[in-house]
Formats: sequence, structure tokens, C-alpha cells
Amino acid sequence: MIISVSHLSKYYQAYQKAPGFLGSVRSLISRKYTTVKAVDGISFEIDTGELVGFIGPNGAGKTTTLKCLSGLLYPTNGKISVLGFTPFERKKEFLKQISFVMGQKNQLWWELPALDTLLLNKEIYDVPNNKFDEVIKELSKLLEVEDLLKIQVKKLSLGQRMKCELIASLIHFPKVLFLDEPTIGLDVVMQKKLREFIKEYNKRYKATIILTSHYMDDVEDLCKRVIVVNRGKIVFDGNLSDLIKRYAPYKIISVTLEENIDPKSIDSSLEVITFLYPRLVLKVKNEKVNDTASQILKNFKTRDLTIEDADIEDVIRRVYE
Amino acid sequence: MNKYLLVAKNTWYETVAYRFNFVMWRIRVVFQLLTVYFLWLAIIPENGDFLGYTKPLMLTYVLGTSLIASIALASRSYGIGDEINNGNLSNFLIKPINYFLYWFSKDMGDKAMNILFSVLELTMLFLLLHPPIFIQTNIFIIFLALISSVIALILYFLFNILLGLIGFWSPDVWAPRFIFIILLNFFAGSLFPLDILPKSVFYFLRALPFTYILYFPLKIYLGQLSQIEIYIGVFISAIWVLIIYWFVRIIWAKGIAAYTAYGR
Repeated sequence: MIISVSHLSKYYQAYQKAPGFLGSVRSLISRKYTTVKAVDGISFEIDTGELVGFIGPNGAGKTTTLKCLSGLLYPTNGKISVLGFTPFERKKEFLKQISFVMGQKNQLWWELPALDTLLLNKEIYDVPNNKFDEVIKELSKLLEVEDLLKIQVKKLSLGQRMKCELIASLIHFPKVLFLDEPTIGLDVVMQKKLREFIKEYNKRYKATIILTSHYMDDVEDLCKRVIVVNRGKIVFDGNLSDLIKRYAPYKIISVTLEENIDPKSIDSSLEVITFLYPRLVLKVKNEKVNDTASQILKNFKTRDLTIEDADIEDVIRRVYE
Repeated sequence: MNKYLLVAKNTWYETVAYRFNFVMWRIRVVFQLLTVYFLWLAIIPENGDFLGYTKPLMLTYVLGTSLIASIALASRSYGIGDEINNGNLSNFLIKPINYFLYWFSKDMGDKAMNILFSVLELTMLFLLLHPPIFIQTNIFIIFLALISSVIALILYFLFNILLGLIGFWSPDVWAPRFIFIILLNFFAGSLFPLDILPKSVFYFLRALPFTYILYFPLKIYLGQLSQIEIYIGVFISAIWVLIIYWFVRIIWAKGIAAYTAYGR
């Protein structure tokens, strides 16, 4: 067991403060507090080499949990063990084995080429020369940034920078990797590349990875196991396929029609999601999918028909409810 | 290479990258220096003195503050407050690196560049203006002046951190800093030597840390302090270093507790 969390809670004492310096001074004297339960008694365990997706709506407690696991936040309650360490103590040996990629924060030196930050990280993490050269060569090839490492960071695009950030976070071969929204702000192609890379890294180095993301594609593509959180509590922990089976016993049939039809001619037992000629989208129970599809093909002139799994975002929404 | 050395080196490169900014900053410093220089040049009579300062002494004082300022004052660590505020501090908390040493190294990289330029500028001024200056020949005194410059550097660094730590509780890290800069400009003696002030005011100032940042190292260099006065000054400033360091430690611990309790 590489990560074990039991009854972890993190409450914030949020207080209202008037803006500005005077407001700060005033708030030193009298404050109005409210307790925010960002994480509320969650427990889970993660094995070596697992790639787990942490999903949930904004403010569900995903990032807070990752911050607790990496030692950035002091838990209000509960026990955390990562690699046998208590994260909050932030021992050197612990920090040397983990990495936390925060999609919205950057560690690269803005005015310098990414390589300078990489060299600094090499010293910070005591990475030997030959190992460093090897990892740079490999990672920059995997991420296709070989030519970019010597360019000033400020001249890189967001996607290019994100890839360099990732390399900077991986230079010491972390055994445990926390990825908070790693694909944020990237275009679809770049997202896909980054996902492939994460997958590859997980496989090749047997690294344990926990990832949060708003993009369901990330989770669908990468994680066998997902932990769904909502309002600080775990609402589902298991295989993604089980999640879909349990919460979405239906599929989506999309039809492109050849000719317009009378909406009334659609079987009233079918659930229409949208009908905007020429596109008709239906939600159909798993066991009825075959029948319905053949019925549609028989009754209507269709140009195209596809059957898809339930929209995972919709599934997740159902879990929250 | 050692990680902190590398941080200093990277900061040096960064300064080169911000060339334009840096050159403008140096031009500002030179103009400020010239203003004060010509002011005193005009005030002090040719062969007399003004409040105990002859022309060479005063001009050496003025030019000297410029050099000491580049040693003690030049710094990057004013960025700490913003870094805490925008949450980038997190990037350092999850790395095996000492945050204060990291910033100290950044300051050193910045200082190296500033000292280099300060020396170049002063050399140019000497060649152009031929100012009558006072040259200290006693090696021991120069050594003591250097020691107190190093104390000045540490004092200023600690002050900077202390002001930056406000960022843990308030987004307004600049308001208190401006007040500090104004206090410093006056009390550290960057405009005039402090001993031309009324005695009672001056004695009071001597108990404060500010005077030890510029005024004191220069007074040592000018040879105007007795050995006893030097030792007392070094002692007081060292005590201040300890006091402020102690404050920094306590406030950092509290700040980190707040930061990790609240998160950003």
C-alpha cells in the first residue's frame, strides 16, 4: 500500500474580510468565521503503480485532498500515509520521491530557457549527471520538446510550457505523482499527447499517479479506477466501467436523417434528448439498444447511425445526485 | 554545482534578460547619486567644513553610500510577499529546498550584478568629475567596514523577508513596504550623514537597526569612529540581526501554519 488515507477531513475557517490593508487590520481585531468542510472524512487506499482519477465538481475537495497528500495542507482530522511518511512533516526523503504538478502554477523560470530550471531541479533533487541526461533525452522525445528546452520560457506557447513543466516535475523519477488539472488550457491534440505520455510514464516507471481533471476524456482515457468526490465526501470508488454500468444503464443513439420526419412518428416510449433536423439523439436502455437501432433503420431513411456509451459527464452528474 | 549557487547564477542570467529594466534602474541610481553629490558640492565651502564634514569626507560619504547600497540594498527578495499571495510558494514547499536560502541566493545573484555596475559607474564618475575623495589606508578599518556591510546585507535581507511574510495574512504587501522604504531612506542615511542631526535624535537612531544598513559601514570606512564605537555598533547591529531573525522564524512558522491550514 503506497498511499493510505483514513478519515481525512480538512475544514477551513473562512472569514469575511473587507478589502485592502485597513480591512486586514480591522479583521485582525474582529472576524466573522464560517467553517467550510472542503474534505469531510474520506478514506481510501492506493497500490503501487495505480493510476487513479479523482473527479468531482468544482469545490468538491479534489485539490484539497491532493494538497493534503503532498504535504501542502495540514489535515484537520484523520491519518495519511504516503510512501510510509506523514506528508505534512515534509521530510526531505519524502519530498524527493513525490511530485505535484499544478496546472495553474508554474515553476519554470520565466525569463530563462526551460533547461535552466531543469538543471536547477537536478541539483535540488541530487540527480546524477548520467541519469539526468537520460531522463531529459527520453522525456523530451516522448513529449516532442527537444528543440524547445533552450528557448526562453516566456516565448513558449501554453501547451509547450505545460510539457516543460511536466518534465521539470519528473526529473527525479517521482514514485508518487500528483497531477492537478494537467491538461487545463490545452487544445485537444495536445491533451491527447499529454495523456499518452502520462500513461506511458505510469507503465514504464511503475509510478503511482493520482490525477484530477475537469475533462472526462482525461479520466476515461487514463484511469481504470476512479474516485468520485462531492461536497468533501467520496460517493464512488471503483472501476470506471462499474461506475458507468451502475449509474448509466443506457446508451446514446445518434441518427442523421435523410428526410425530415414528424416528431410524433417517433415511438413515444423512446426518450428523445434532442431532435433538430437532421440530427436525432435518443437515450435508450442497454437491453433495448439493438431493437431500437434496427427499428429506426427500418422506419426512417437515415444517412448515419451511431451507438455510444452514456456521456460520462452525465453519469458523473447522476452520481452527485 | 550547488543548488543555491545555481539559483544565484540563474538570477544573474535573469537580470541580463531584463536588460532594459536593469539599465533604467541603474540610470535612476546614478541620477539620484549625482543630485546628492552636486548638492553637497555646492553647500560645503571650498576649504572649510559643514557640520564637521569637509568636502572630501562628504563626497566620499555620498559616493560610498551608493556602493554600500548595491551591496546591502540590492535585492529580489521583495518578491516573497507576492509569491506567498499568488500561491507559488507551494512550488517550493514540495521541494527539498530551503526557502530562505533560495531567496538569499537570488539576492546574491542580483547583488553581484548591481555591485558590478555600481563599481563601473563610480569609476566613470571618478574619471569624469575628479572628486576629492578620502581613501582609507588602514586595512583593519576596511576589514571592519566590510564586516559591517555584511551585517547590513543580512539585516536588510531579514527585513525584506519580514515584510514579505505579511503576504500570509494580507494581499497588501506593498503598502507596508513603501512605508519601510521611506523610513529606510531617511534613517539609514542615504541622503546625508546622520550625525548632522541633533544629538538626542541621533542617539535614539543609533539604537534602531536602520542606521546600520548604510550609515554605520561608511562611518567606519571614513575613520570617524573610535574602535569602541565600532565594536558597540557591530554588537548592536548583530543583536538586531538576531532579534529580526527570531521574529522571522516565529512569523514564518505561524504563516506556514496559516498557509497550510488555508491553502492557496
